[in-house]
Amino acid sequence: MSKYLIRFTKLGYIKYTSHLDMLRLFKRSFKRAGIELVYSQGFNPHPHMAFCQPLSLGYESNCELLEFEINKPMEPKIIITSLNEIMPKGICITSCTLLDEKMKSIASTCYEATYKIEIPIDSCMTSLEDLLQQFLSQERIIALKSSKKHRETKESDIKPKIREMKAEMVNNIIIMYARLDAGSHSNLSPELLISSFCEFAGIEAGRDKVKITRIDLKY
Amino acid sequence: MNTNDKLDSLLNKVIKPGRYIGGELNTVEKIDYKCHFGFAFPDTYEIGMSYLGLQILYKILNDFDDVYCERLFAPALDMEKLMREEGVSLFTIETKTPASELDILGFTLQYEMSYTNIINMLDLSNIPVLSKDRGEEWPLLIAGGPCAFNPEPLAEVFDAFIIGDGEEAVIEFCKAYIRNKKENGTKEQLLKSVCMKDGVYVPAFYGPVYNEDGTIKEILKNYDAAPSIIRKALVQDIDVAPYPENPIVPLIETVHDRAVVETFRGCTRGCRFCQAGMVYRPVRERSKEKIIDLAVKQLASTGHEELSLLSLSTSDYSSFEPLISELMTICKNHNVALSLPSLRLDSFSFKVLQEIQGFRKSGLTFAPEAGTQRLRDVINKGITEEDIYGSIRQALELGWNNIKLYFMIGLPTETYQDLDGIIEIGKKIVRMNYDLKGPKGGRFNVTISVSNFVPKPHTPFQWECQDTPDELIKKHNYLKEGLKIKHVTFNYHDTATSFLEGVIARGDRRVLKPIIRAVELGARFDGWSEHFKEDIWLQAFKETQIDPCFYNCRIRCEAEILPWDMIDSGVMKEFLRRERAKALVGTTTDDCRLSCEVCGLKRYTICKQEGVNEQVSY
Repeated sequence: MSKYLIRFTKLGYIKYTSHLDMLRLFKRSFKRAGIELVYSQGFNPHPHMAFCQPLSLGYESNCELLEFEINKPMEPKIIITSLNEIMPKGICITSCTLLDEKMKSIASTCYEATYKIEIPIDSCMTSLEDLLQQFLSQERIIALKSSKKHRETKESDIKPKIREMKAEMVNNIIIMYARLDAGSHSNLSPELLISSFCEFAGIEAGRDKVKITRIDLKY
Repeated sequence: MNTNDKLDSLLNKVIKPGRYIGGELNTVEKIDYKCHFGFAFPDTYEIGMSYLGLQILYKILNDFDDVYCERLFAPALDMEKLMREEGVSLFTIETKTPASELDILGFTLQYEMSYTNIINMLDLSNIPVLSKDRGEEWPLLIAGGPCAFNPEPLAEVFDAFIIGDGEEAVIEFCKAYIRNKKENGTKEQLLKSVCMKDGVYVPAFYGPVYNEDGTIKEILKNYDAAPSIIRKALVQDIDVAPYPENPIVPLIETVHDRAVVETFRGCTRGCRFCQAGMVYRPVRERSKEKIIDLAVKQLASTGHEELSLLSLSTSDYSSFEPLISELMTICKNHNVALSLPSLRLDSFSFKVLQEIQGFRKSGLTFAPEAGTQRLRDVINKGITEEDIYGSIRQALELGWNNIKLYFMIGLPTETYQDLDGIIEIGKKIVRMNYDLKGPKGGRFNVTISVSNFVPKPHTPFQWECQDTPDELIKKHNYLKEGLKIKHVTFNYHDTATSFLEGVIARGDRRVLKPIIRAVELGARFDGWSEHFKEDIWLQAFKETQIDPCFYNCRIRCEAEILPWDMIDSGVMKEFLRRERAKALVGTTTDDCRLSCEVCGLKRYTICKQEGVNEQVSY
């Protein structure tokens, strides 16, 4: 058994493919590429394959990570080319590395994600940098988190989960780079950050106009 | 990797945006072509992509260099609302081209209840609904599929219909289109040049004249050279007919997410209620080698994890057992599940089912269709009481504890005794299970699903009257009462939908008005029980002064000119009359494989299955 990690992009319309559908896509693609995944035993065998930090529907990414195990070892380069030949537009495998089998899963060791967030506004905001500093220097940064289970919204302080933020104005678009906690220990969804920031800055940008791209994932 | 900004902001707000993005595996991109074709499926993406005909025509059209075929689907209600608000018109999912910019827009007519979606999709494309309102600048609108065998309700919408097998006819049509375009011909010139071909019906060349009582007096021709009778298009040999080896693999989950091979077309059983069994004659089989070859290629090119076979009455395939044995081996080796719809439950089928379902016995479905032998003989459903109970006993013994039974109510000559027969079957199965397993038999359920009979054109029952919704409701209540039995679940189909389906199925050109009015009043996705609104339709019929009962609640005279009489399905009207007469006295007709019953197909083609089993009793 050999364990590999691939890094791939998810750009363009394919961003509207959900996490579960991505799993199905990869499962089928491995099959087509003749890469035999290791399957679990039992009544419902499933392949040993896992994404690190599922990406929300509608987000683009340059750095998705997928870890999988195969029966017969293969040259990483061959894995890359054979997958890229059959991937739909927008998905491109950019690297493949052989992992130590004993290593903990990437999903469990992942700790940080960086997002590029593009918020279109009506006019140029000259004081953006100051505003961001004020936002970040609040004692607590409150975000409203709605829970599907209990159908209620809860306030939470997201400040400790923000590692770094930068922002610039380009053609009436606020471009923010946010380095946030990610993973099973501590996690911050960019959604909370965006709504909290927009409220603080008094920006009324429709959520549907905001573009989010994940540009880095650390493990 | 750019997305269209406007569309992007819509997609960010809708449920399942994956329905509208295209870009799936095995889709086609083309730059250079002479005819831009839109294949439109009037329901959601998940349903349309589960339809094999789409995959077949997509392949055939795109294999033809001069044609680029793209797909369009009905947007779900949330998407439609946003599209209207933002002024986005209906687009193809491959290149996001507006439907109005296509050369040919072809709809598939799978189900009468999708007609409102067709009208709505045209409206969303800003394309005038009536063909007479569309000049040369608009796309040519065509339609095909099973419901095209009665094209009349949509006759004023489409420029042409393709009746019968589409594979060859659609290509011929596109070739004629390209030729005509090159010669700068008009639409009318094109239609005149194609109207004498098999399977092409140009409704503008015909005009019905009505009697005072509303029946059709005669069907006049507006163009002398147009044929009086339009014979369906027929692919003689499906073994060599093109078939997708690399079908499109949707990114999102669809209804049927699997590789599928059509094993044969047509059916020899001759069930009298079944339109498919009449209009898809004769049986044409694909060779076993070809089926296996296609299955292997599809699995390799798609990575699918399930393989299914498609046909009417699957186990009638001539070399069924060897085919299934080989496929089971292939599936096992590829880690693929095999699923077999509409099996006849004999000992071989049980062996197969045991193997493919293993421990997870999902449930077994039987379709006796009627509750008594008398009524089963009327509809020519060739199964006996012994067949039913024998198979069910075997299923119970082998460990299936979820049995489903399908019946139809409202069949011609039906009485309450026939309904008692349904109840009796339910009771007997429960008793049988008790006798086999004792009081502690464990989990066990019999589901009895009842649908409402809808008489269809080109069947022996095309003249029959449909039960009124009131009668059907009475029958449902009777069954509901009678089937209050432990371990029995009773389901039934909505009566209003069945009634409407009946009106449209056997409707004429006048039925279009209420359909259009219903769309204006908000009718969409009428085939979905959660979207169907009966009051809209009542209002639409009232406002357009069309009496639905005229179409449904009377027995038509056999001499009456029926709206679809100019369409020749290959089966002679004389055969249908004969079958109807036999039905009414409860006489059965043999399977074509036993002997030829002279349905008329042999006038046009060779019927290979005729009498092949004459010597064998089965």
